[in-house]
Amino acid sequence: MVKRRKTLEAGGVSKVLQSLLQPLGAVLISLVLGAIIIAVSGEDVLNAYGIMLHGGFGNGNYLAATISRATPIIMGGLAVCVAWKAGYEAMGGEGQMILGALASALVALYVPGNGTVRIILAIAAAMLVGALYSAISGWLYQRFGVNFIISTLMMNYIANNVASYLTTYVVKDPEALDLNSVQTAKLPESVRLGKLAGGLPIHWGFVLAVLAVAAVFIVINYTAFGYKARMGGINERFARYGGINSKKMLFSIMLLSGALAGMGGAFEVLGSKYRYIDQMIFTAGFAWSGMVAALLANFNPFGTMFAAIMLAGLSNGGSAMQRSTEVPVEAVSVIEGIIMLLMSVKLLSVLRVRFKKRKAGDGNSPQNGGTCVEEMV
Amino acid sequence: MNVSLEYLLSVLNSTVRYMTPILLVTLCAGICSKVNVFNIALEGTLLAAAFFGFLAQYYFRNIFLSVLIAMLVGMLITLLMAFFVVKLKGHPMIVGMAINTIATGLTTLLLSVIFHTKGLISEPGMEGLTKVVLPGVQNSPVLESIFSSLTVVDYLAFLMAFAVFVFLYKTKTGFRLRAIGINEEAAGSLGIHVQKYQIIACTISGSMIGLAGCLLSLGSVTLFVQKISAARGYIALAADSLCMSHPLGAIASSALFGFTTALSYVLQKTPVRQQLLNCIPWIATIVAVAVYNVDALRKKNKPKKKTPKK
Amino acid sequence: MVFEMKNIVKNYGSLCANDHVSIHLNKGEILAIIGENGAGKSTITKILYGLEKPDEGEIFVDGKQVRFRSPTDAMAVGIGMVQQHFMLFESMSIAENIVFKNEITKGPFLDRKKTIKTVTALSKQYGLEIDPEAKIEDCSVGIRQRVEILKILYQNANIIIFDEPSAVLTPLEVEALLETMKQLAKMGKSIVLITHKLHEVISAADRIYVMRRGHVVAERIKSETNSDELAYLMVGKQMELRQIKPQPAGRQLLQVRSLSLMSGGRDVLRDVNLQVSAGEIVGIAGVSGNGQVELIQCLTGLLKPGSGTVLLQGTDVTHSSVCQRRAAGMAYVPEDRYLWGSAPSGTLSENTLMGKESKEPFCKNGFLKKKTVEEYCQTLISKYDVRALSPRQRMSEMSGGNAQKLIVAREMQMDAPLMISCEPTRGVDIGAMLFIHDQMLRMRSEGSGILLVSSELSEIMTLSDRIYVMFEGRICGEFQRGSIDERALGVLMLGGKKADG
Repeated sequence: MVKRRKTLEAGGVSKVLQSLLQPLGAVLISLVLGAIIIAVSGEDVLNAYGIMLHGGFGNGNYLAATISRATPIIMGGLAVCVAWKAGYEAMGGEGQMILGALASALVALYVPGNGTVRIILAIAAAMLVGALYSAISGWLYQRFGVNFIISTLMMNYIANNVASYLTTYVVKDPEALDLNSVQTAKLPESVRLGKLAGGLPIHWGFVLAVLAVAAVFIVINYTAFGYKARMGGINERFARYGGINSKKMLFSIMLLSGALAGMGGAFEVLGSKYRYIDQMIFTAGFAWSGMVAALLANFNPFGTMFAAIMLAGLSNGGSAMQRSTEVPVEAVSVIEGIIMLLMSVKLLSVLRVRFKKRKAGDGNSPQNGGTCVEEMV
Repeated sequence: MNVSLEYLLSVLNSTVRYMTPILLVTLCAGICSKVNVFNIALEGTLLAAAFFGFLAQYYFRNIFLSVLIAMLVGMLITLLMAFFVVKLKGHPMIVGMAINTIATGLTTLLLSVIFHTKGLISEPGMEGLTKVVLPGVQNSPVLESIFSSLTVVDYLAFLMAFAVFVFLYKTKTGFRLRAIGINEEAAGSLGIHVQKYQIIACTISGSMIGLAGCLLSLGSVTLFVQKISAARGYIALAADSLCMSHPLGAIASSALFGFTTALSYVLQKTPVRQQLLNCIPWIATIVAVAVYNVDALRKKNKPKKKTPKK
Repeated sequence: MVFEMKNIVKNYGSLCANDHVSIHLNKGEILAIIGENGAGKSTITKILYGLEKPDEGEIFVDGKQVRFRSPTDAMAVGIGMVQQHFMLFESMSIAENIVFKNEITKGPFLDRKKTIKTVTALSKQYGLEIDPEAKIEDCSVGIRQRVEILKILYQNANIIIFDEPSAVLTPLEVEALLETMKQLAKMGKSIVLITHKLHEVISAADRIYVMRRGHVVAERIKSETNSDELAYLMVGKQMELRQIKPQPAGRQLLQVRSLSLMSGGRDVLRDVNLQVSAGEIVGIAGVSGNGQVELIQCLTGLLKPGSGTVLLQGTDVTHSSVCQRRAAGMAYVPEDRYLWGSAPSGTLSENTLMGKESKEPFCKNGFLKKKTVEEYCQTLISKYDVRALSPRQRMSEMSGGNAQKLIVAREMQMDAPLMISCEPTRGVDIGAMLFIHDQMLRMRSEGSGILLVSSELSEIMTLSDRIYVMFEGRICGEFQRGSIDERALGVLMLGGKKADG
């Protein structure tokens, strides 16, 4: 009995360490490999990394810019957390964010009403659009068995193209001086998410994002709905056995995930750029960074937030590095990519079990009924 | 719009030139699919192959060597992907997107560091892939229009499609690869080293992406630009789904995408539709997969018929 | 002797699957190994086929000692196994499946014509007719099994093991299979047949080993025994029957009428009728794989029946969801605690909450009261003697017996009048088993009705007030407590007929 207790306690501590070990390891290894790349570029590695660190987090302004950039990344990460925790490996954050961004810009620009109302409506519109777009992937999966990977990847491109089309031809900024700029009109002051006091470029979007992080954390861990989602994510059969309606769950999660991603787009438009610019979400890769953040944090909302800030800092730092050295900012994407690659393997034990259980047929195949661990002797 | 025969022929020619790189990448995607490896890293691999092919030609001025190097790059990156997915059991989507991100960043970075530009690099005097003039084509202006500016590798693409077909469906090794894709567990239990076959098959198929890369940067024009792959890697995924990973079907589906690309350039006169046109392959893929699944489910639920001989 | 296995010992953790088992096979003989679930017959044959390695013991094939690292080694010395789970390539042809791994080639290319010729000749040689170009996905299960046999014969196997081959066949197909086995034996092949079904054994086997709890308890020549004796040897006399006070049955809780289901081309459930009333334990006796799983899944809502009705406390729930049935008063202990009954990586609290997550006092306005959930879990842990340190432990860290106790606890505390319990003491130690039985009896005396499905005959006999026997998807008998003994029940379970009509 005593021996058991010991291992259990050790188990508790080592579990926390384990969950930090892989992310830390991944980041470190990628920084080392990044250093090699920087050296190839002909720069002094320490100098370059120093500038990068400073550019991301060095002073108040930089930190604020990092936090500003982190805002949509956090939302993208939350979208992934929600979906993946429930067992749905959707990758549609980008398309949802794009459409959400555009929708928020259009609502903010053209819907009548006073400033605050329009802001709220804009965010709501972004959530709605993101949610519905996400629900389509859910429907394709549930009705036609179209795997999430295919549907969400394709739909990301469709969304980007449709948004591009709309921005280029339908809602183009009438006052643009540069005929080549593909963007909507600029949002008037009244409908912007203002900056927090202190003149720092952190806007209220970040505050809302933090609230969203807390809300998602509470929902996942402290509500009956979150419980059902999590159990479904661990063992889909157990959830069904317990009476959970898997169809209802699928759509609820898809809607929620899409709404979160859409919000991310809205925050970027309303708080940072004040307009929808063609390719702005696509190029910035917010949703993908969000994915990396969620992976690093093992789908924990708060961890995702911190990881998102780190990744945003990495990105901004990279821009600074590009300005001051010969190292192009792409070194950062390479580092991010390496992190992603190294984190892809962590999910092996979790996803493999889940995947096997989902793959091993639905409840309608009797053959799967009796594979108890200790039987079949 | 002046729709003359000449015009139509040039569209046909464009279709062929746009489809060949897609065909090659689709063939690679197809082989990987056939062994149950979901290769999402096509885009990044293509970009890298195009870049290193260009780079090699820039330094060595030996087209043959450059093509080989591009093929090698294609194989190495696909090997990396296969290793992470098959051996380490990494999530295919994440592995693929990670490699794409790394490749995109790395090629732009090297472009910047080596050539001091992030835009376009071209070397006017540099020799590209050898253009082939088929005997007898000169006699007919029609044929000449269709086959103009086609390089060795363009023709090679079609040959590869047939070669892959023969390999997969007529040889012993191809048979085993297909079996792995149908039922990995059964193949393993009957004594086949499934992982070995998977990794080797994927790696070798990566060489085709190398060829495709050459078409992009060393083809009709010798240049490299940041997004030269233009999402062809993803289009190839779509093409692969549409043709159900069949090598001959790949010709048809890549022709479709080649055609829509050519069309979108033709229709540039009415630019309203370009971005929407781009969506056709994506929507088509989703529809194709949905239809395929519904059909497969219907087949599964069909009551089993007894074979004639009892 | 074509093979001999001496003193084989195989342990799975603390479970001894084979305890000094010695068997042998003679040339041209059909050997049957029979026994209940858990007897160890599958294990010994897996060892023979190289799927498992013995902890102790020796194997001799044709007089030479062998050590198998994998089935490939076994196949190399001529041992082949037709497993329960077929290893076939659906979209490929029969011929392609047969020659896989030993393809007939012309250079690097497949020689299609020669392949078909060879396969056709092979099938004619052994009288196993097939169409070499037919695709597996279009073939019936009987044909597929034939393909598996041909695969083995193609590899020149001399020893063919059949693991529960009739589990998936129709009666007609079983006849054909037994004929095939006799034919193969006549042609010099040696056969090992693992089965539960006595009539197959009597029909085809020359010699029989009976296994129980990891031992070979008897060896018989067919002509010197009969199905009654075999049934008795298989099932034996186990536990002392408890003295249980009979009590009158109350109102009807569950009524099942004419339930039928077809799956994969077979009749899985045939016109099943049964009922459970308050205050009684109704047992369904039967060997695993005779439709019990499907029956229970139809009752609990995880599977849709082809036809028939299910009434729960008078309400028709045939097409209701799982959630609705639970609300109508049904609890369910599933047969596989890890596949269906729990979330292994979740905590004990999370596992005990399932089914009640939206109910007071655990949930208020959608929010979970974690403390209440934990306290509840702790109550269950204490009350049901679950050896766990805290509700925060993970389910996967618990032993099988304790995990099962917790799941039983959860379902019993649902306050549902009807409880369906499937293999409740499978893979569970004696202490836990007795405890669970006590709890079931307590529920019975408190007025609940329990439907108990178990392949453990002693369990059924101890607890049930009424017993249904299930064989091949059909209820083939209903008996009151005390009106039938284990031996006769065993015979019925194995497809035999009750002596006195």
